[in-house]
Amino acid sequence: MSFPKKPGGKALDVLQNLPRITLTNLRPEPGARKNEKRRGRGQHGGNRSGRGHKGERQRGTRPRLGFEGGQTPFYLRIPKYGFNEGHSRRPQYQPLTLKRLQYLIDLGRVDPTQPIDLTQLINARGLTIQPLKRDYGVQLVDEGSDIFVAKINIEVQRATEGAIAAIERNGGVITNSFYDPISLGILIKPVPFFMRGQPIPKRMLPGEDMVPYYMSAENRGYLADPEEIQQARRALAQKYGYVLPDISKDELCHMLAMRKDVRQIFFGLSPGWVINMPEKKILKPTDQKLLQYYSS
Amino acid sequence: MLRFSCLVFSRGAARRFASSFSSDTALPPNLRLPSNLVDPDRLKRPPPSEDSSLPLIRKCDAALPAHLSPVRTWVDTLESKDSEPLGLTELHPDVFAVTPRFKLIFSHASTKVRSEVRGGGRKPWNQKGSGRARHGSIRSPLWRGGGVSHGPRGPKSYYYMLPMKVRVQGLKVALSSKMAQQYLHVVDSLNIPTPDSQYLLELIRSRHWGESVLLVDVSEEFPENILQATENLKTVNLIPAIGLNVHSMLKHEAVILTLDTVRFLEEKLLWHDERYTFLYPLKLPYSDFP
Repeated sequence: MSFPKKPGGKALDVLQNLPRITLTNLRPEPGARKNEKRRGRGQHGGNRSGRGHKGERQRGTRPRLGFEGGQTPFYLRIPKYGFNEGHSRRPQYQPLTLKRLQYLIDLGRVDPTQPIDLTQLINARGLTIQPLKRDYGVQLVDEGSDIFVAKINIEVQRATEGAIAAIERNGGVITNSFYDPISLGILIKPVPFFMRGQPIPKRMLPGEDMVPYYMSAENRGYLADPEEIQQARRALAQKYGYVLPDISKDELCHMLAMRKDVRQIFFGLSPGWVINMPEKKILKPTDQKLLQYYSS
Repeated sequence: MLRFSCLVFSRGAARRFASSFSSDTALPPNLRLPSNLVDPDRLKRPPPSEDSSLPLIRKCDAALPAHLSPVRTWVDTLESKDSEPLGLTELHPDVFAVTPRFKLIFSHASTKVRSEVRGGGRKPWNQKGSGRARHGSIRSPLWRGGGVSHGPRGPKSYYYMLPMKVRVQGLKVALSSKMAQQYLHVVDSLNIPTPDSQYLLELIRSRHWGESVLLVDVSEEFPENILQATENLKTVNLIPAIGLNVHSMLKHEAVILTLDTVRFLEEKLLWHDERYTFLYPLKLPYSDFP
C-alpha cells in the first residue's frame, strides 16, 4: 500500500463545498428510521387490520397452542422421560481452547510469567463466565494442542487429557480445582466484592460426586497426592509419546510450583481478611474462634 | 429482437450508472444556493501548507496509525486584534460517518379511560323494549363525551441514553465536520487584555469567525476578563471541555479550542477506541485499564 490514506476520506472534501452543518440540516441516513406498522389505519393497515376473514382467526377465539381439535395432542401422546431432569442442577463449564489461550498469550493479554487463574483470564477478557447460570468455571479443551507452545502455570476446573498432555509437554503445570458458586462469583469480579466490605469467605470443598474427580491424579486434581501426580505425568508422557521436561531445573520453577491452598480463593489473601479499597488497607481477624474457623 | 432491446437497455443503464461515479466533489447541477450564504472573507486563509515558516507548537501525543497523517491548523492569540498566527498544531485525524441524534425527554399527554370520566354509572335505558341500541353506560368509548379506550396514559418519559461509543463517535464527527468546513480554530489560551465585550466582538468580526462563537477551555475556572466579557453576550459562550456536546457545537457557528483542550479531547476521545469492555460499572475502581 503506497498511498497514505487521507484522514476522513472524500466525505470531508465534499463537506468543504456544502453549506454549514446546523441543527436544521440534519437528517437520519436512508434506511436508519423505518416507519412503525400501525394496524387499523389507512388502506393497508385498515379494513380487516391483518386478521383475515371471519371465524376464530378474526375474532380472536382460537384455542391454545398444541390443541388438535380434541384428538390427543402430540405433546401428551409422547410419554415423559427425564432428558432435562435436573438440568438446572448440572454444573456447566465454559470451554477454553488451547488455540484461544495461545492467542491471548501472544497478544500479551495474559502474562505467562505469573500463575494463570480464572481472574487473569477474565481480566484479559478471554472468556465470560456466568456463575448464576450454573457455570462452575472453565474447562480446557485440546483444540489447538498442536499449535500450543507456552510454558504456563494454569488452574482450571476441568481439563481433557489431550489438553493436560499439551501443557505438560511444553513444561507447564496444570491443576484442576473446585470453586463453589459464591467463591466463583468473587473470583470473577473481585473489585465489586471488595467494595462490599465483607471478609473473604473460605472456599468450600467439592460435593460427593465431584470428590473422586478432584482426588484422582490423572485429572491433576488439587486434592490428589503429589507423588501420584508425578507418576501420572510420566504415564501420560509415555502414552502421548513426548519427553517429560524437568520442571525443578527451570528458572521459573518457584512460580510454576505456586499453588493455592484448598480453602484459599486469591493468591496472597487468606479467608477471613477484610479489604478496605478506598484506604488500601487489609484488616485481619484476631479472635481465636474466627481464626480457628477460617483456618480449618 | 428481444436480444437487441436488451442490449439497448443495458447501455442506457450503464450510462446512468457511470454518471453517479463521475466526480466526487461536484454538486448536483440542479442545486441552487443563495449568493449570500457564504462569507467570502472567511475562507481567505487556506489551511497551512507543508512548507510554512511558523513553528510547530504541538505534536500529537497519541500514536498515529501508519496509514493516516495528522491534520494541521493555525494557532491564534486572543491578545490583540490583528496579529499573525503564532504557529501550527497537529490534530489527530478523526473518523467520519454518522449523523448525530439527541436525547429526548418528557411528554405529558394523558387521557381519561371510561372508568375515569365523570358520571356514567347508571344504565341509560332498559336493555330491551325501547327500540334503541343496547348500552351500558353513557361514558363508553362509543358515546360522545365518553372515555378514550386506548389513549395515552399519564406522563410518559421518552428518555434514552445512546451507547457510550456512539456518543464519542458523535463528538469526533462534529469536531471533524467543523474542521473540514473551517469553523474550528485553535488558540493558545483564553486570556484577553480587557474585560470589554466590544473588544471580543470586534476581534471576532475582524477575523471573520462567524456570528456565534463557542469558547472551550479545559478547566472550569476561566480568566476573569473573558468571564466578564462574555457575561452579557448572547452569541459568545464559554464551556469547560467536559461540557462539550454536539448540540452546542452545531448551534454556534465557530468553535474555538485552546491547546490544552485539544490535548484533553484527543486523550479522552481516543481512549475509547482501544479499551476493553467494562466488567463492572465505571464508578468502581479500575486499576489496570490502559
